[in-house]
Amino acid sequence: MKEEFLLGNGAMAIGLLEAGCQIMTSYPGTPSSEILPEVVRFSRMSKLNTSIEWSINEKVAFDNAFAAAISGKRAACCMKMVGLNVAADSFMSAAYIGNIGGLVIISCDDPGPHSSQTEQDSRLMARLAKVPVLDPGSPEEAREMIKFAFDLSEEFQVPVLVRPAIRVCHARQNIKYKTLKNNLTKADFKKEPTRWASTPKFRFLQHKALNEKHVNISEKFNTLKAFNQHTLKKGKTYPFGVITGGVPSSVVKDLFEEYSRKDIPMLKLGAPYPFPEKLAGEFLAACDKVLVIEETDTVIEYMLRDKHKTLGRFSGHVPMEGELVPEKIETILNKALADCRQKPLSDFDGGRAAFGLVAELGLPLRKPTLCPGCPHRASFYSIRKAMPKAIFPSDIGCYTLGSNLGVVDTVLDMGAGITMASGFYNAYIQDGVQKPIVATLGDSTFFHSGITGLINAVYNDSRFILVILDNGITAMTGMQPAITQGLRVDGRKGNAVSLEGVVQGCGVKYLKVVDPFDTKNMIKTIKKAADYVTDPEGGIAVIISRHPCVIGFKDAAIPEKISVRVSDECNDCGFCRDRFECPALFRNPETEKTEINTVLCAECGVCLQVCPRKAITKCDHQF
Amino acid sequence: MKTINYVLSGLGGQGILFMTKVFAATALEKGYNVLGAETHGMAQRGGSVVSHLRVGEARSSLVRAGAADFLISMDESEAYRYLPYLKKGGTLFANAPSKSFPDKRVAAYLKQHKIKAFAMEASKKAMDLGSPKSTNLAMVAFYSAFGLGPLNAEDLRGTVEKMSPAKVRETNLKIFDACHDAGKKIAAAG
Repeated sequence: MKEEFLLGNGAMAIGLLEAGCQIMTSYPGTPSSEILPEVVRFSRMSKLNTSIEWSINEKVAFDNAFAAAISGKRAACCMKMVGLNVAADSFMSAAYIGNIGGLVIISCDDPGPHSSQTEQDSRLMARLAKVPVLDPGSPEEAREMIKFAFDLSEEFQVPVLVRPAIRVCHARQNIKYKTLKNNLTKADFKKEPTRWASTPKFRFLQHKALNEKHVNISEKFNTLKAFNQHTLKKGKTYPFGVITGGVPSSVVKDLFEEYSRKDIPMLKLGAPYPFPEKLAGEFLAACDKVLVIEETDTVIEYMLRDKHKTLGRFSGHVPMEGELVPEKIETILNKALADCRQKPLSDFDGGRAAFGLVAELGLPLRKPTLCPGCPHRASFYSIRKAMPKAIFPSDIGCYTLGSNLGVVDTVLDMGAGITMASGFYNAYIQDGVQKPIVATLGDSTFFHSGITGLINAVYNDSRFILVILDNGITAMTGMQPAITQGLRVDGRKGNAVSLEGVVQGCGVKYLKVVDPFDTKNMIKTIKKAADYVTDPEGGIAVIISRHPCVIGFKDAAIPEKISVRVSDECNDCGFCRDRFECPALFRNPETEKTEINTVLCAECGVCLQVCPRKAITKCDHQF
Repeated sequence: MKTINYVLSGLGGQGILFMTKVFAATALEKGYNVLGAETHGMAQRGGSVVSHLRVGEARSSLVRAGAADFLISMDESEAYRYLPYLKKGGTLFANAPSKSFPDKRVAAYLKQHKIKAFAMEASKKAMDLGSPKSTNLAMVAFYSAFGLGPLNAEDLRGTVEKMSPAKVRETNLKIFDACHDAGKKIAAAG
């Protein structure tokens, strides 16, 4: 028996392997990114032959896992919740078709949001797809639910969604585990075209069968004591009760214990859909009023038919947006109890005075910034220098932080850097205006969902400059290997895919590759590309700005360290801090000059090219 | 045992994860259950980072505002930012010059809530001892000098020794001992 202080994502990796998951696919995205590398680590530790891949996007990951599952193997794919949007087409269809071997989808939610573009609730996606969903409240429970999910998926031949929220994924807990065993089930795809390739006529029948499965699964969830249970005493009635699930259920339990409130019954729904009608009905019947505390949307609350009894988001007791952090839940409970003429847990007001005091202190706003030495910073600096008046559609990755440098005007979703550039071009050209547009996106995002947009732009003759920021790695989500490097997640060699080859294959005729650390050359290249874009015989221009990530490839990114200083020539114009925005450059209010924070400085030397007065100079000596 | 809640705060890049792991590993070694919550992804990039750690029988990973026994911060501003998490009678440890700490504007709040606040220039100490990136270790050692909570100095030092890679082990222990001693003096002065 081993014990580790594991991330929830690690606990889920153990759950997957304990369940005998043979095929595991994923595309990284916070807060899901660590699941797959942990599956690699534990597989290695127990010498399992798990097949594991970073797929190019979430839909590809899903389809891969689905094919394995209909071949009889246990398969899983994981992603962040907005990734499930990318895989939604497959997800909806797979629910009808069903599977043979267990198929588990882990979609990690981000209430807050902390690192996402929405706060969407994956349980609603499950309902839309008519797929059963499990909602863990802790890393340990997520591990158990995953094992149950595989059994359920095989019993009913339906994919099962597990949706851990960020406080499960990025919680850490001590987890005990034993040596893991290989699942040796062999692939055995049995042809059955009416099922696996069903036409609309059969789809209707599959839909009907899925609805029947639902009735049976709902029945099972009514008595699924491991995840769905209440604390009602037989025959007793209560003035007030709480229905909850997922992360908030752990908070509610902690609060009731801390304040010794055994008088308030609680129904926990860890398996909320298909909705366990009987169990919920029983709870509702025993309580005069019921408060629903769930994250992030109204899946349980929506299913409770008695609106007069139910308090929650629709009654205004629970906020419609934002993470339900413990202090928020305590104040929600206090208010609801008081409204129902019950004794509140406490007189705690959510720490209003303390948070108010902090707000008055005027603490530094710490907006996230690109790392010192980051090649994206140099690219953005050059883009703005070359094309100050352009529209800058961008995309999702570290480089979203280019907004700090004024070079990111839009961020919609993965791939929209390119597609929105086309859209801007069309919107302006209709008025006879050729607006300068410079789109940016990273190499991984380009492969994920940029290629289709680029082909579309070429085909429809959109005119803009696309700068692909190629740092050779998927940096934001924790340094996953890039497709261009030919390395796979488990250390096996893959076939490197050439970014230039793909760009040219999309029909792009104008392609240049630059190193962003040479800002002069990059500025010149962008200006030339702009000429090509406006030339009637021209077209779309692509520039690959290639330099290794400073975190992922420290030595390659900065092969020669250049330490810098600011000379007396500095006249505090602020240009470097504003337009280059390196965290190592700061203003000393006493000297009224810019200075270098040598602890933060990566010694890339790019800022030497930035100062209009050449006041940033090389150090003569090394510290 | 009653659950003991720690909130650790600082800036991205200061090594808050390592600091969390030192506390957690020490608690696990003692046979306690541990739950933690940390910052990942975009917020990590130079932003304000926070890590919650609950030692004992907790179910939810986040420490509730007004419920932390200890707030240990690697940056003065980040100490104030997470002040609402400290409970009445809690203790604050900050990387700050002890002469000017705490900020006058929070002094009344601390007094009213019976919060004890201690400061040491951890970054400066780490820098002087030749390891400018070891503010995290310096703060663990500083906390350990006060003998508060379920984790004692000897055990924390043992964890640091175990978790440090060989080439920095000696430096890390040097920093630990120096900052523990500095903390002892501050603790004795009250």
